[in-house]
Amino acid sequence: MDVLLTAFDLVFTPYVLLVMLGAALFGLFVGSIPGLTATMATALLIPITFFMDPVPAIAAIVTTVAMAIFAGDIPGCLLRIPGTPASAAYADEAHAMTAKGLAEKALGASLVCAVIGGLIGTLVLATTAPLLAEFAIQFSSFEYFWLACLGLSCAVMISTGSVLKGVVSLLIGLFISTIGIDITAGHPRFTFGSVEMMGGISFIPAMIGMFAVSEVLRYVASNRQKPQVSQQAIGNVFRGLGPVLARYKINLLRGGVIGTAIGILPGAGADIAAWVAYAVSKKFSREPEKFGSGHVEGLVDSGCANNAGLSGAWVPALVFGIPGDSITAIVIGVLYMKGMNPGPTVFLNQPELIYAVFVAFFLANLALLPLGFLAIRLARQVLRMPQRVLMPIILMFCLVGAFAINNTVFGISIMLVLGLLAYLMEENGFPIAPTILGIVLGTMLEDNFMSSMIKADGDLLGFFSRPIALVLGIVTLCIWFLPPIIRALRSTRGRAPQ
Amino acid sequence: MRLNDAVFGIALLFFAFAVIAYSQTFPATFGQNYGPDLFPVLIGSGLAICGAVLTFRGWGARKVVPWVELGAWAQDRQKLVTFMLIPAALVFYILFSDFLGFLPTALLILFVLLRRFSVAPVNALGIACITTLLIHTVFARFLLVPLPWGLLQPIAW
Amino acid sequence: MLKLSRLGRMAGMILGGVAMFAAGAAQADWPERPITLIVPWGAGGGTDATGRMIGSLLEKELGQPVNVVNRTGGSGVVGHSAIANAKPDGYTLGVITVEVGMMHWAGLTDLDSKSYTPIALYNADPAGLQVRADAPYQSAADVIDAIKANPGKFKGSGTGQGGIWHLALAGMLNDAGIDPAAAPWVPSKGAAAGLQELAAGGVEFVTSSVVEAAALIDAGKVRSLAVMGDERLGAFPDVPTLKESTDLDWKLAAWRGLAGPKGLPADVTGKLVPAFEKVWKSAEFQKFMEGRGFGLVWKPEAEFATWMSESDAGLGSVMKAVGLAK
Repeated sequence: MDVLLTAFDLVFTPYVLLVMLGAALFGLFVGSIPGLTATMATALLIPITFFMDPVPAIAAIVTTVAMAIFAGDIPGCLLRIPGTPASAAYADEAHAMTAKGLAEKALGASLVCAVIGGLIGTLVLATTAPLLAEFAIQFSSFEYFWLACLGLSCAVMISTGSVLKGVVSLLIGLFISTIGIDITAGHPRFTFGSVEMMGGISFIPAMIGMFAVSEVLRYVASNRQKPQVSQQAIGNVFRGLGPVLARYKINLLRGGVIGTAIGILPGAGADIAAWVAYAVSKKFSREPEKFGSGHVEGLVDSGCANNAGLSGAWVPALVFGIPGDSITAIVIGVLYMKGMNPGPTVFLNQPELIYAVFVAFFLANLALLPLGFLAIRLARQVLRMPQRVLMPIILMFCLVGAFAINNTVFGISIMLVLGLLAYLMEENGFPIAPTILGIVLGTMLEDNFMSSMIKADGDLLGFFSRPIALVLGIVTLCIWFLPPIIRALRSTRGRAPQ
Repeated sequence: MRLNDAVFGIALLFFAFAVIAYSQTFPATFGQNYGPDLFPVLIGSGLAICGAVLTFRGWGARKVVPWVELGAWAQDRQKLVTFMLIPAALVFYILFSDFLGFLPTALLILFVLLRRFSVAPVNALGIACITTLLIHTVFARFLLVPLPWGLLQPIAW
Repeated sequence: MLKLSRLGRMAGMILGGVAMFAAGAAQADWPERPITLIVPWGAGGGTDATGRMIGSLLEKELGQPVNVVNRTGGSGVVGHSAIANAKPDGYTLGVITVEVGMMHWAGLTDLDSKSYTPIALYNADPAGLQVRADAPYQSAADVIDAIKANPGKFKGSGTGQGGIWHLALAGMLNDAGIDPAAAPWVPSKGAAAGLQELAAGGVEFVTSSVVEAAALIDAGKVRSLAVMGDERLGAFPDVPTLKESTDLDWKLAAWRGLAGPKGLPADVTGKLVPAFEKVWKSAEFQKFMEGRGFGLVWKPEAEFATWMSESDAGLGSVMKAVGLAK
């Protein structure tokens, strides 16, 4: 108990609170601009945290990231341009709600779910980190291969319309992920001698292109004006939220748990958590047909999951020094610099510091509620602009965002090409969500497949040789093959009495 | 722009075979049985199958769905120019931003686009100036993104 | 038509004038505007961490902002190319790493250590040999014997195919007179992912630097059996060198240094090298490097160039021996 009190003392000083407020504003800003990610925000904080004590340094990072991941929902909802990759999974859905005049409800739900998700993740982190890390570290390439397969099945679940076109879209995404030097053999693929291509197709410019540039093109090409966001009153975003949350309390819990779990696994972070939570939400929903048409249910799950994933990622980072996502990869460096070397001993040697970090986590997520509310109100002011003024400005922001990822105009080329591709695809009924998921999961799928094959000397049974892999493998195969088999059985049984 | 499924199907078939053929040039890897060509070949095969099915479907529907159906905007000359202006603006930036610098390039692109979307000249100039300076201040100054100065290097601030 | 061409000529003259003005201004007292420091590896890694530290300390020394820019991908080729191809005016510098001496042998690029102006080497971390804590091996010799007795059975990991830690393993086996293919390499995205595989039981050993395994060693998940360097590490005095443990004289270290594009003017290096030396000697930098367990080395200019060409030649001969060179 003493430790906890010391921890509170460490956090509740004017200096730390001020640092957290500054970090919060920074995070909200970075998150709401497409192309500036939470990871980048963290990297930018590093030189500043050099000169801080451990607690304010880490509190600043925690706060920035929590704010940024929520803020990514704002442009996703209002403009269909996700601010960070973690919002990509449900940008379509949220924007469909805006189109129906429900922007207020969508943003309110996003905000409250983000807060709840963050709190669930933090609770798990604070109470069971060492135990869960012990489990997560049991995952080898076999397990990750099956997880990637499960992730891919999400693509089919979330895509609307023709299954065939969904598969084509997924394969295009997977192909894009093979461009560049592959880590299995170190051979440059489909680069045609270009050094820039060797680096592969960066996900962020690809995402900006597929969402934002295609949106601008659609605006130019469409004759009808889209519903003006500015015409909608965004008043009290919390109005009418109570019944929604009460109705979807299971979804909240499920989103939080899925998000935390995926966050804990090294190599998968908030973005994948949001995709999976959204797909699971649709799969188990009583009204799956409403998904994609502006239905709040999927938002609840995935909005909760991505913020929960952030805390989850700290579990292996703190316990084993193995990053749970790209943000904690940077955080580990900061921990070392501040003398809080990751390892189980950090809980024994400096418990007050670790608990202070947890307190900062709770505080950051609670502060999200008022500050996020403020951000939504501010965003509305920006969106008062007529679209003919807004569209060129959006294009310019995207251009700079795509450039900023690697500081090269090659990012802009990626954005342009994939923007045109996405426009053509959507016009012809090819969903773009599977392409994006393919780019996200392609490398994970291939790398782990190749590693596993090398480890098993080419024996496919190796994929079932370990207990967790066996379970995951069977689950995956069931998800893939049971529904068609059941359908086939039903139809034969239905025919039998005739 | 809407195309008959068969057009996509045939394009996918060509693309798939190109991918598979090109993957054959990848070297086998040291000490390994599976090389970098495995996944591209699998993806290519998948695309080829999908392409074949799409072609088949599109052929079946050719009486109902025309090969190419340009959107209304494409017949409208003005709209077509506006549409092409978006990629053109990005290409212009890619080619000239390094030489001209971010400020002139962004200013020019914003002004042209705003004018094209029929914003009044004075307003367009004002909005373009403010946006360019705002983006530059935020990204180059605070977020340390190395936006090129180009011709303005001598007066860089 | 005529009018147009005249217009064009006029525009050209104006632009040319401005460009000359720009070029003239660039030769004044360096540094008079912000410097870009390119890091060829991702945010969060060791190279990025040291690069950012150097950036913020150099900023104080030089009185101009130093912006750290990550140019990642392509096994380091993208970032290293960006450094080498930058204008040699002192406003673009970069952190170059051991991969400079590897990627041209692998046929990925024509760049080598001669494509840069060396400023100084500031860090080198020797490879180690790590096994799971509950593994039967007590020494590096045990591991080598096990590989010799069961070729193809035990696998190693720690980085991508043909990466620096792969060479550490292959070179060690090559020196021990064993075919490097006897211990197949399982590629991973960096040392952390390889160590995760090791802890999960997916591979038998990881030949990353000992520092990278520190947290897992502390957690009692992993043991380090040997370090492939001249002497034992200060932070891990119980880990013997490979030579002590096996008699093999195989050494390999990953290193990092500050460099600029080829042809950096002497007045730039004349200011930069002393400034960087002050940074390297500063208490902040020393404390930071020791805190993370990074090996501290200082080799300015010509010494750095010699180091690089030796490293390059050594890596080339190993890569040829194990069939990783093109």
